[in-house]
Amino acid sequence: MAGPRAIDAVAGWLGRGARETDDRAGAPGPIPWDPIVLARVRHLHFTARVLADRIVLGEHRSRRTGQAVEFADYREYAPGMDPRGLDWKVLARSDRLVVRRYETETELPVTVVLDLSGDLGTGETGVGGLPELTGTKAGYAITLAATMLYWFQRHGEPVGLRLIGGEGARWSDLPPRGGRSHLQLLFLALASVKPGGRAELSRTLTEVGARVRRRSLVTVITDGMEEPANWLPALRSFGRRGTDLRFVHLYDRRELTLDLPEARVLYSPEGGEELPIDAPGVRKDFRAVVEHYLGEVRTGVLAGGGQYIAAPTDAPMERVIRNLVQGGTRPVEMP
Amino acid sequence: MSLSLLSPLAAALSLLVALPILAHLTRQRPTERLAYGAMLLVQRLVKRLRRRRALKDVLLMALRIAAVLLAVAAAAAPRLSWKGDIPTFEGSGRMVLLLDQSLSMALVDGGSTLLERAKAEASARVRSTPDGARFGVVAFGPSSRALTTEMTDDKNRVLALIADLQPTMGAGDLRGAMLDARRLLAGEKGEVFVFSDEAGPSMIPEAEEEIGRVVALGSAVLPVPIHADPPRNLAVTAAHYGDGIEGGQLTFRVANYGPTTREAPCEVVLPDGQSIPVFVDAPAGGEAEARVTIPRQAASGVGRVTCDDPDLALDDSRWFHLPQVGASRVLIVDGDPGDTPVRSEVYFLERALAPWGGSSNGVVPEVVSPKGLGALDPTTHRLVFLANVADPGPFGARLRDFVRRGGSVVISVGDNITADRYNAALAGLLPSPFRGPESLADRAEEPVPLELPDTSRAPFEPFARGGRGAFTHIGAWRVMTLEPYADSGDVRTLLRFTGGVPALVSRDVGQGHVLVWTSSIDLGWSNLPLQAAFVPLTQRIAGWLGAESDGAVARVEATIGARVEVPLSDGISDVDVRGPDGSAVRATLQSGRAVFTADKPGAYEVRVTDGPRVGWVAVNLDAEESDVRRTKSLASVEAALDPEMFVRHQDLAEAAMGLSMVLLLAGALLAAFTGAAT
Repeated sequence: MAGPRAIDAVAGWLGRGARETDDRAGAPGPIPWDPIVLARVRHLHFTARVLADRIVLGEHRSRRTGQAVEFADYREYAPGMDPRGLDWKVLARSDRLVVRRYETETELPVTVVLDLSGDLGTGETGVGGLPELTGTKAGYAITLAATMLYWFQRHGEPVGLRLIGGEGARWSDLPPRGGRSHLQLLFLALASVKPGGRAELSRTLTEVGARVRRRSLVTVITDGMEEPANWLPALRSFGRRGTDLRFVHLYDRRELTLDLPEARVLYSPEGGEELPIDAPGVRKDFRAVVEHYLGEVRTGVLAGGGQYIAAPTDAPMERVIRNLVQGGTRPVEMP
Repeated sequence: MSLSLLSPLAAALSLLVALPILAHLTRQRPTERLAYGAMLLVQRLVKRLRRRRALKDVLLMALRIAAVLLAVAAAAAPRLSWKGDIPTFEGSGRMVLLLDQSLSMALVDGGSTLLERAKAEASARVRSTPDGARFGVVAFGPSSRALTTEMTDDKNRVLALIADLQPTMGAGDLRGAMLDARRLLAGEKGEVFVFSDEAGPSMIPEAEEEIGRVVALGSAVLPVPIHADPPRNLAVTAAHYGDGIEGGQLTFRVANYGPTTREAPCEVVLPDGQSIPVFVDAPAGGEAEARVTIPRQAASGVGRVTCDDPDLALDDSRWFHLPQVGASRVLIVDGDPGDTPVRSEVYFLERALAPWGGSSNGVVPEVVSPKGLGALDPTTHRLVFLANVADPGPFGARLRDFVRRGGSVVISVGDNITADRYNAALAGLLPSPFRGPESLADRAEEPVPLELPDTSRAPFEPFARGGRGAFTHIGAWRVMTLEPYADSGDVRTLLRFTGGVPALVSRDVGQGHVLVWTSSIDLGWSNLPLQAAFVPLTQRIAGWLGAESDGAVARVEATIGARVEVPLSDGISDVDVRGPDGSAVRATLQSGRAVFTADKPGAYEVRVTDGPRVGWVAVNLDAEESDVRRTKSLASVEAALDPEMFVRHQDLAEAAMGLSMVLLLAGALLAAFTGAAT
């Protein structure tokens, strides 16, 4: 987990220069002076700010428990808790140690779960290397995540990032925090990651679900290319716990139309069986498979209390972000 | 059915079947790899397609294998052989047409007779045959006729001969027709077409040998069945006037050769024109027997039974002889009137012959004194009872003439009889001269009983069903003995008393019969009139003797087409025979018989030229010919004679090759339209 000093360091890279190492215990190793990464950070920052500025929204109400004026509930005291929260009157009356909890009006921890597994690296840029930030699935996802983080951070919400898969990132798990330097840390993570590895959506979502607070916002950005029956249960656990879940279903329209001119042997960068496919001959059947799959995912998300936002890579990002931050749902756009 | 290969070695090419299998196993796979993000969906697609493709691929491979196999089969020139029904025309250019014109071909089916259909078929066959072919025509009814003396290529003449054919009234002589066909072919090969309904139980079996000879010459017998669907006919197959104790009834039989029970409206027409309607229910495939009571008085002659049948009218009628029926048939000459009924033979005879006064049977005796014999009329009376007549001398010659011309005399004896007078007056009539009366037992004792009669003899046939034992209760105390004699063709001892003394003796004289009862009919010498067998025996004797002849008129039954012989009395040198329509029929005299051939059914009358009637002939169809059902087919006969002729062949090479091409095309289309996605 990045400490204040590390954040300062990144801020220094972005504006005033930076230190070469992060001396915080448990932190990643030396931060590379990679001009490409730094340029991508700047580019991400710029793009996110532009996109966020285009979105005109009203005040949003975030909910979390903490120290505020409005009492929320009691909780049994456990060692390690701040003793300042003890309710002494209850202790005097009933000889019980309980902690008072309060509801705040403004803070809503936001966690963006971003899938950058190997499948996200497919498309016109091929596999390997940092993805282009425009015109590719991974770039679209990274830009979308950066914009989300920027927008919520500007509204004063603590923001965090959890990467699924991906290679080259200095940090893959940054819990929600406030502050500009934390945002820069998040941007650095996004700028340095490239698609790779396996998604393992079910395991990752279960981990995130176990950690996030009950009243928080979780945005999952993924192509969902694992059997929905495996990961939808983990997704539904967010809804059961009252977490505000927003599911961004990212896909490349050309892939869902099997837009291939001739027969190819198809394979997944995440491994598995290679399959020879004569695309022109099976396009009709493939469409039926896609329709069934999209319906299955959307129904599963909605049934779990989440919000489903279809995000084809050729769709204007502002529209996707508007749906995302407003919490509205749009009909699934069929490829 | 069998399959053979004309080129068996070509079957080795079947190894080519491995080609589509190899093609199936080594299908071309794309080589260019592509990283794809939606592999989950591709995997789902493959799973979905594989379920479908599994069937399609097998089908495709099966199509290709079948196509190769068929191509190999075509190269091997397979030939399919199976057993056919009827041989087809083999085109030798020499055809003999046999047309069945028997009675059954007059059956109406579908608005036309079978013969008309046969003629149409034969004519069509002639017209469709290429010019230059030669034809012979044979028509066969009761006899076969070759309508062409030799094979001819004159189609118009052949067609005209066929068109002139008419149905006949008899059976079909297929055997003779085959013989004629063989003569026309004159030892050369040819086709013998048989246009026939194949009806009747004997036509085809009788012709089998001749068919075999035709086939042995290398010729083909080609049946052209002309069948009614279903075969059906109603025919009167028998009609007979009862001559037993049931006498007075006409019994006739109606055969139904169809598949359904039919109610036939029938009419019995007596010789004097009286008509008696009757309905007969004839069961499907069976016969019904019907009885009609003849009126108490009816003229003798030939009567007719007709049952209407619209399908085949020619055999709807059957003609039968009817003797003189009525009160004047039996003449009883009372020689001993007696002072009490029990001493009067006539008393018992009247009650035995007409128990109810003649109101309900056909026999009413006419009783006369011996002088009444002068009124004996051979055309009216047919049976005379001489009951204890003392002296028949004055009428001996008249009685002899009466008997020779077919009349019958029954003589019973008694105290009035003297052997000498009878021997003198009735010489030539008595089975054996009377020797004199003789006592068999004392009057105070039981009479000597009769032995059991032989029920195979005509007078006793009805007693075979029961009552035979009653004869042993009949006995006599006294009898008229006869001079020793031996049974011969004319003289027969019909009954004997226990101990062997003759009781009832018959003698055939001319066309008539004489019966002698050697005891009395009253209670003077025997107990006969009091016994249970007396009435039925008397009725039976009256019916038997009275029905068999009609005075001096001969009664002959004949079948159409057959030679008819009518026995004539001595001295007749010229006869006139008239057919059913009154036309003269050519007849000859041979050995005291009038001989002619009847070609129409009905009543034929035989008269002495410009003289009295001397005979009736009832001419009927052969009942067997009315059976229009098929019992054996020509095809089955020929199949047994020459099985190879019925084997059909079909070369399959072209069909196999064509089918192979079709399958290849189908496989290509299947592959093209469904693609090979995985």
